[in-house]
Amino acid sequence: MVLDPHDFMAKMADRISFTSEDRALLKSSASWGAEIAPDMADRFYSFLGRDEEMNAILNASEGRIHRLRETFVDWFAEMFTGMEDDWGTSYADRRWRIGLIHVRIGIGPQHVVPAMAVVVQAVGERLRAEGKSAALQDSLSKICMIDLAFIEQAYVEVTAAAVLKETGWTEGLFRRLITSGAGTM
Amino acid sequence: MAINTEKLGIVLQNFVTATSDVQGAALVTPDGLPLAASLPGGMDEERVSAMSAAMLSLGERIGQELARGGVDRIYVEGDKGYGILTSCGEDAVLLVLADQKAKQGVLMLEIKRAVAEIKLILN
Repeated sequence: MVLDPHDFMAKMADRISFTSEDRALLKSSASWGAEIAPDMADRFYSFLGRDEEMNAILNASEGRIHRLRETFVDWFAEMFTGMEDDWGTSYADRRWRIGLIHVRIGIGPQHVVPAMAVVVQAVGERLRAEGKSAALQDSLSKICMIDLAFIEQAYVEVTAAAVLKETGWTEGLFRRLITSGAGTM
Repeated sequence: MAINTEKLGIVLQNFVTATSDVQGAALVTPDGLPLAASLPGGMDEERVSAMSAAMLSLGERIGQELARGGVDRIYVEGDKGYGILTSCGEDAVLLVLADQKAKQGVLMLEIKRAVAEIKLILN
């Protein structure tokens, strides 16, 4: 059941039409991406921190929020660079790891999706204020949605894989239980 | 060699009719798919199969985790009777439903015999 990060990345890039033009455009703005990343991290965690339950999760251990914020800054900047392998295996593995961390600490889709919407809006404001092109905004939106899909799919996959590991159930049985359970709802 | 499902069905049917206080039985795969069943009316064969496989598998994990060794059977005792799950090797799980009047010693012995017969057919 655990997805192959590289295959999933390729599938999403194809599905969202993340083209070589998008990649080139993002790379050409990599320094700008790195420059605004800390501000975007602040907005993301400021939004999440407004929720009492999420605030408790973010501050559950010493330095956690600081580490998460650093990860966000790196993640945001990497959307512009594609890391060292042009949005390839390293990039995909890192998105998988982010999903895994979200499962471990309990940041679910219900929190990430609205917080990401705040970031998308804030990026849009910065793009317009600084006279950046609409094409750059489109390319950034595409990779941001790929990453969001990736992180949330990883969340689902890791959750299911954890249940399989703990129960010893087969994947077929797990799917059957979900289907029959959903049928009774 | 193909599994003789007709023979499996006959073995289950005979077990249910010939064993005192047994109300039903099902043989399912570890994936929760039914192989053969003779269940009381109103029971959903698909759901019963999935739950049976889930329970035996979880029981085996609990057995490991609590250092109880290999699990011979999972035993559910309710105020209306018993549900007993027994592994039939790697390929199948036997569920037996019995009412509360069932004599447990006899029931276990009959299950043991049925499992031996089922294993022969599966292998």
